[in-house]
Amino acid sequence: MTEAGYVILSIDDLDRYEGATDEAPVLMPLRRRTGFRPFGVNCFSATAAGNHVIERHFERDGDEELYVVLRGAATFTVGEATFGAPVGTLVHVPPGTVREAVADDEYTVVLAVGAKPGEAWEPAAWEDFHIAFASRKSGDAAAARVLISEALGRHPNAWQGQFNAACFEALEGEADAAFEHLRRALELGPADVRDYVREDDDFTGLHADPRWPELAG
Amino acid sequence: MAGARRLTVAHVDELDRIMPDGFVWRPIRRHFGIRAFGVNAYTAPEVGAPIIEEHTESRLGHEEIYLVLRGKARFTIDGNEHELGPGELVFVRDPTLTRGAVSVADDTAVLALGGKPGAAHTVSAWEAMFAAVPAAREGRFDEAIAIHEEALVELPEHPALLYNLACMEARAGRHLDALLRLKRAVALEPEWAAIARKDPDFAEIRREPGFPS
Repeated sequence: MTEAGYVILSIDDLDRYEGATDEAPVLMPLRRRTGFRPFGVNCFSATAAGNHVIERHFERDGDEELYVVLRGAATFTVGEATFGAPVGTLVHVPPGTVREAVADDEYTVVLAVGAKPGEAWEPAAWEDFHIAFASRKSGDAAAARVLISEALGRHPNAWQGQFNAACFEALEGEADAAFEHLRRALELGPADVRDYVREDDDFTGLHADPRWPELAG
Repeated sequence: MAGARRLTVAHVDELDRIMPDGFVWRPIRRHFGIRAFGVNAYTAPEVGAPIIEEHTESRLGHEEIYLVLRGKARFTIDGNEHELGPGELVFVRDPTLTRGAVSVADDTAVLALGGKPGAAHTVSAWEAMFAAVPAAREGRFDEAIAIHEEALVELPEHPALLYNLACMEARAGRHLDALLRLKRAVALEPEWAAIARKDPDFAEIRREPGFPS
């Protein structure tokens, strides 16, 4: 932001943070870059044609989302419907509907806009965790821990943050820290955490630990 | 797009094409019924056509992002000119800055995102006023009135909305409704009285008792 009260940039100026796997979408954090505060807005690209540009998910916290294809083309699946989406396509998805999109071209970029109706928007921790995991992947675990610590400070009572911190520490081989975060996540969201914990490959390194059955059993 | 519901997917060129005042509004939020944020598109068919009307966001306090989807537009922000092409954007944080844009390429499209930081999104009254323009222009005042009344459910004390509705009612021959609506608008924002005195929409009721003096 300049003193002028406005900023001009290209989506090519945005940072690119790859996801947990090579096929996962690349986050291009527009909200974070501009400081836009009213609602969530980010760009996503894919690592290659055929890979996800929007990961398969639904919005469990009530956010409605709009996706806008800015470059290239994508194949969206929303609920049971699959359709091609060239540049200029708008896809609106209510919270509980599962959605995903695969890039048809390697240079595909999709803008994602989201917020929960009737509530003032606040940045969610997932952006920090996406960037933290990308930093870890590129070898900078220290920078990742700083981001995670800041995110947990802003969202101390969100099970998702504690769960993701547990994933991170498990991948780093820090079992004590991983179990501590997992224990806290279970306190905050027992039903959700039990749904995810057994199937998450990030915890494979913890399975032989005697504490694992106690928490995940 | 086989299998996709009409209201889930649309191309920007499939949206309604409404010309409120020289520019072309493509109502995205209204099309999908989005409640959580403000989002619209604007298109211009040819070079030189206005695409974003000159305005500020002082009244609403909105932050805005304008992102060029295709073509090219010359934005003027606080007196400074910037030509932006596809994938380029301007984020206007300061709501008091004057902003506007003119197309400098054929077939330009701009996406506009906006909202007030720290507040749940509320639908802006101008959307209903814009949406009612085609019906009002074509003399379908009942339809224009219905669009305003729908917006008033959420914004019952919005002076501009009340004033516009009074205009529609006056032109529809609903003179008593128009007078009551106008009286309420003026009570909420007295400056509407002076505007009403010169507004041709009220020619039929200007001499009625109760018309704002």
